[in-house]
Amino acid sequence: MKKHVTLSRRKVLAGLTGAVAAPMIIRPGSALAQSNSMTFVTWGGAYRDSVVKGVIEPFTAETGIEVNIVDTPDLAKVKAQVMTGNVEWDVFDAPGAMGASGEKEGYWEPLDESMLDVDDMTLAPTETLMPFYTWAGGIAWDADRFGEGEHPTTFAEYFDLEKFPGLRTFRDRPSETLEAALLADGVAPADVYPLDVERAFAKLDEIKSQVASWVSATPQTIALLRTGEVDFSYTYASRVRTTGAQSESGNIQFSFDQTLNGLEYLAVVKGAPNKENAMRFLEFAMRPEIQAATMELLGNAPVSKSAVPMLTEDSQSWLPDLSDPDHLVLNDAWWADNFEEVSRRFKEWVLI
Amino acid sequence: MRDFRQASIFVTPAAIIAICISALPLLYIFYTSVEGPDFSLGSYISIIKSTLFHRTLSTTMVIAVSSSALSLLIGYVIALHLARQPAKRRAFLLILVLLPFWTSVLVKCYAFTIILGRTGIINSALDAISGGQLSMSLLLNRTGVLIGMTNYLTPFVVFPVLASLLAIDPAVYRSASIMGARPARIFWTVTLPMSVPGIIAALASVFVMALSFFIIPALLGGPRDAMLSNLVDFYTREALDWNTAAAIGMILLGMTLIVVGTVYARNRRAAL
Repeated sequence: MKKHVTLSRRKVLAGLTGAVAAPMIIRPGSALAQSNSMTFVTWGGAYRDSVVKGVIEPFTAETGIEVNIVDTPDLAKVKAQVMTGNVEWDVFDAPGAMGASGEKEGYWEPLDESMLDVDDMTLAPTETLMPFYTWAGGIAWDADRFGEGEHPTTFAEYFDLEKFPGLRTFRDRPSETLEAALLADGVAPADVYPLDVERAFAKLDEIKSQVASWVSATPQTIALLRTGEVDFSYTYASRVRTTGAQSESGNIQFSFDQTLNGLEYLAVVKGAPNKENAMRFLEFAMRPEIQAATMELLGNAPVSKSAVPMLTEDSQSWLPDLSDPDHLVLNDAWWADNFEEVSRRFKEWVLI
Repeated sequence: MRDFRQASIFVTPAAIIAICISALPLLYIFYTSVEGPDFSLGSYISIIKSTLFHRTLSTTMVIAVSSSALSLLIGYVIALHLARQPAKRRAFLLILVLLPFWTSVLVKCYAFTIILGRTGIINSALDAISGGQLSMSLLLNRTGVLIGMTNYLTPFVVFPVLASLLAIDPAVYRSASIMGARPARIFWTVTLPMSVPGIIAALASVFVMALSFFIIPALLGGPRDAMLSNLVDFYTREALDWNTAAAIGMILLGMTLIVVGTVYARNRRAAL
């Protein structure tokens, strides 16, 4: 009896030692890979292809630095890497709120502003976040079903069920949705932040019964319009442009009268194994010709001002005119501070 | 004692793996849920006060109970049918049960979107029959979740129930029918009571699995079908609040232990 117990304990100890030692054995691998490579975490599918063609291939051609691509930026994984000191990622492709919460938590390396041409940027970099592009969210409809004047073009009209009856979509998250509600309720875009959460939910109550889908996967915002499951949809200009071109059915249109504009950032993960290469990558991605080539493929708005004239005329027609005060730029810092609490309330509100 | 000694030899490797792979991380999750060395119950208290948690908990219970009941019903009928087949035929039919059982749950979910979707097989057929009058909303709602979960869980009912049905001595059936019992009577007084151990084993494992489902409600359900593990995902990846995520995980584990403990206690009593 006793013999078995000691045996198992020894085995447990051996197993434990193995488990503890494993990271130390695995780790030198990434150290070896240093100098001539880096890891870039970005989004999959067509997005990834565009970034590879627009940024990564010319970057590798110029610098000789190989870029390993990992799909799907996940802040929880950054948290785990930074917490355990086992950082594998270098550059992180962060949507606005994700980038800002990462900054708040201290997950990013500070930027060296001297390497960036800040005067050429439509939006200034923060201490750790480099704006990569902006995207425009707004109202879309099927022009074969709704002609001129039969569909909403601003958020006030999107919330007007009497004038434009029909089913709508929203994203399954409070960011964008609450802003849209406040704009609809008559708040001037300049006064939207800090968000009046009470007022936004009160306005959302008016429209809730007509929201057929709280969309979690972006392609759904277009797919639901196509299948006629909804009449009007909150979606993105780049989506309408890229899927509209490929479509054989439907004639999806997007309103540039009023849009919500979000930022996509590039950030270098704190303690990145190839920090120098990562910083070079950021500098490279901001060059006007690279910005223009990439955004031509992605369908989003470049942050580099001098990249805009380099875009084709068709691409330029798909960019919102941000100097028009009707458009709103999302405030990622506000969301970084309030995301958890407001999200919880939003999820509860959707469930009721 | 001898039994115990022998058992420990066979169980030791499994125990080592279990300790390294689940017990240690589990301890760490517990440690995280009480906010590490601070040992604070703050996360638990805020969860207990949270409406979101209450709603998700009740959704979880409703879905777990109804999908367990549905899969028991369907699985029992299948097992009953299998038990009455000659061994060779049964082996073939069992493969039909095992095939979906071996298929990845992700693949099954996507298959269901093709079958259940608005323009899917069922709705296209309804459309063709009714001339565009009929369509059913089967996806991204409770129906979709229940169909997906029942499909996943049914094999877990079939196996234990079949085992306990096959363990019934055929002589019992013979004597029942000699005594003049009709098939329905035999079922209610012989088959069903004697398969209770299988039913309980099946229900316990199916219910425990159903409690912690993640991917099926995420892919086939709507926002109103979020279950506790989806809430854990929200706190882990979106809110980055790992203390709360860990605390919900511990609560989920506690619920599982209660179910397993109840079944274990019942089995002990039955054995005595």
